[in-house]
Amino acid sequence: MGAIRVPSPRGAFRVWQRNVTIFRKYWKSIMFPNFIEPLLYLAALGLGLGAFIQQGGINGQSYIQYIAPGLLASNAMFAASFESTFNTFVKFEINKIYDAIITTPVNAEDVVAGEYLWAGTRAALYGTAFLAVLTVLGFAFGEPLISSWWALFIPPALLVIGVMFSVMGTLFTSLIQRIDFYAYYFTLVVTPLFLFSGIFFPVENFPAPVPQIAWFTPLYHAVNLCRALATGPSLATLVDAAWILVFTAGLALVPVQIMRRRLIG
Amino acid sequence: MIRTQSRTSTLIARELKKSYDGFEAVKGVDFEVYRGECYGFLGPNGAGKTTTMKMIYGAVIPTDGELEVAGLDVRRCEREIKRRIGVVPQENNLDDDLKVKENLLVYGRYYDLPRKVALRRAEELLEFVELTERAESPVDQLSGGMKRRLLIARALINDPEIVVLDEPTTGLDPQARHLVWDRLRALAAEGKTLVLTTHYMEEAARLCDRLVIMEGGLIIAQGSPKELIEEHVSPQVLEFRAGPEELERLRPVVEATADAVERTGEALLVFTADADTIMDRVRECGVEVENTVYRHAGLEDVFLRLTGRRLIE
Repeated sequence: MGAIRVPSPRGAFRVWQRNVTIFRKYWKSIMFPNFIEPLLYLAALGLGLGAFIQQGGINGQSYIQYIAPGLLASNAMFAASFESTFNTFVKFEINKIYDAIITTPVNAEDVVAGEYLWAGTRAALYGTAFLAVLTVLGFAFGEPLISSWWALFIPPALLVIGVMFSVMGTLFTSLIQRIDFYAYYFTLVVTPLFLFSGIFFPVENFPAPVPQIAWFTPLYHAVNLCRALATGPSLATLVDAAWILVFTAGLALVPVQIMRRRLIG
Repeated sequence: MIRTQSRTSTLIARELKKSYDGFEAVKGVDFEVYRGECYGFLGPNGAGKTTTMKMIYGAVIPTDGELEVAGLDVRRCEREIKRRIGVVPQENNLDDDLKVKENLLVYGRYYDLPRKVALRRAEELLEFVELTERAESPVDQLSGGMKRRLLIARALINDPEIVVLDEPTTGLDPQARHLVWDRLRALAAEGKTLVLTTHYMEEAARLCDRLVIMEGGLIIAQGSPKELIEEHVSPQVLEFRAGPEELERLRPVVEATADAVERTGEALLVFTADADTIMDRVRECGVEVENTVYRHAGLEDVFLRLTGRRLIE
């Protein structure tokens, strides 16, 4: 069959630009739920459940301080996952937007890469707004939720994390024929990652092989990275960052090839 | 001068084939489109017209054979070809999240048009397809005819050399169809090469300089509308309407002198170069005919002669 297709940055940028154009029209009405959801977790678990967690908290942090940076990572996962599943499916199979784009000098592979970048951008936008709220709330509570200047690197980190989850979501999208199948993806992939990636409790305390399994999953490293940037990183943070980059780069071209084959007969 | 210019080929297919998992959609077609002409692909549904169009604009990759568009090989110069052609797809795929003019502007970016150029062209094109008043409307508020005109405007944003139109008027009411025809003739007058598919004979006869008739993945005839009529059917047609028994009695009477006779549900079609002689015979034989229509043979007669009168699904 044909050679492996590599996207052109120019084409990907044009697709990203289309999404930006549309987002600028609707962002006020669509951003709210994404933004409010992590606040609900923070209130219910951080304050509600947190009140029952014995003094001393986890690793010297109060419970709300412990979970807040992890929620930044999961928020990016959710934003990029919705974008690369339901939104991409509608553009691809229902509105046939990609069929129109690929009759121009923008190729099918550029479309997929542009969607990765857009999902990453969206994750970073939501995450940055949420990061600002966490910072302000920290002052309000009198216990900082974000305590390091390294937190300035959280938005670019969320961009990369968003791209990573977009690659995963797009891979699933490239394999399914019906929109109903996303229930499997969210129930069997996204939700378990959300619960068992060290946002709400340290997975290291579990017996083997749970921590070992966690090491091989993407959100675990995203949570470590965000927590480290919020409180001050260590050398181990580089391992998490490298894991994310290697995993994303290794997988990124797979959905590109499958989507191209579905778009071009 | 014009003659020599129009004889430069801009689209050449040789033994072009496409199969999907064992099903041969296009079984080896040859055609050559000259620059500046309107070239039609006529055929029933499933004849391979859309697959052929998609091979031209890169949405389908040929299984075998050669295809050159604007002098470039479709397998090697995908992007460059797409830069130089415009496409009106069969299925409406306008961007519903964008307004009418925004559709053109965003599309212009895919071709890297500078913003000013895209804006100027978008305004000219909205004027051209008579949608200036709807520039700020959401796309989903347009009628079917308006959407099709917007698709045509969108296909022209990059000022293409070749415009590929897959069933440009299917599903439109007569007014909308005439407006589209009018715009396509204007494009042809500007010197653009038009390649279109249709299953409307009238459309092919009105618009196309030359055309091919496709059936079952093959080209079964080609030429100008006039040549096709001359070659495949006689110039005059008489249609006799009567009861089934009368038609059966009439048949041997006309068969002797006619070039061809075809029986449809309620009529007998007689093809001839000499309608008067046939009419005399019919009057003499005494069979009672309810209604007689005399007309010139058209592409539809050619089409039905070649593809048969059975329903093709």
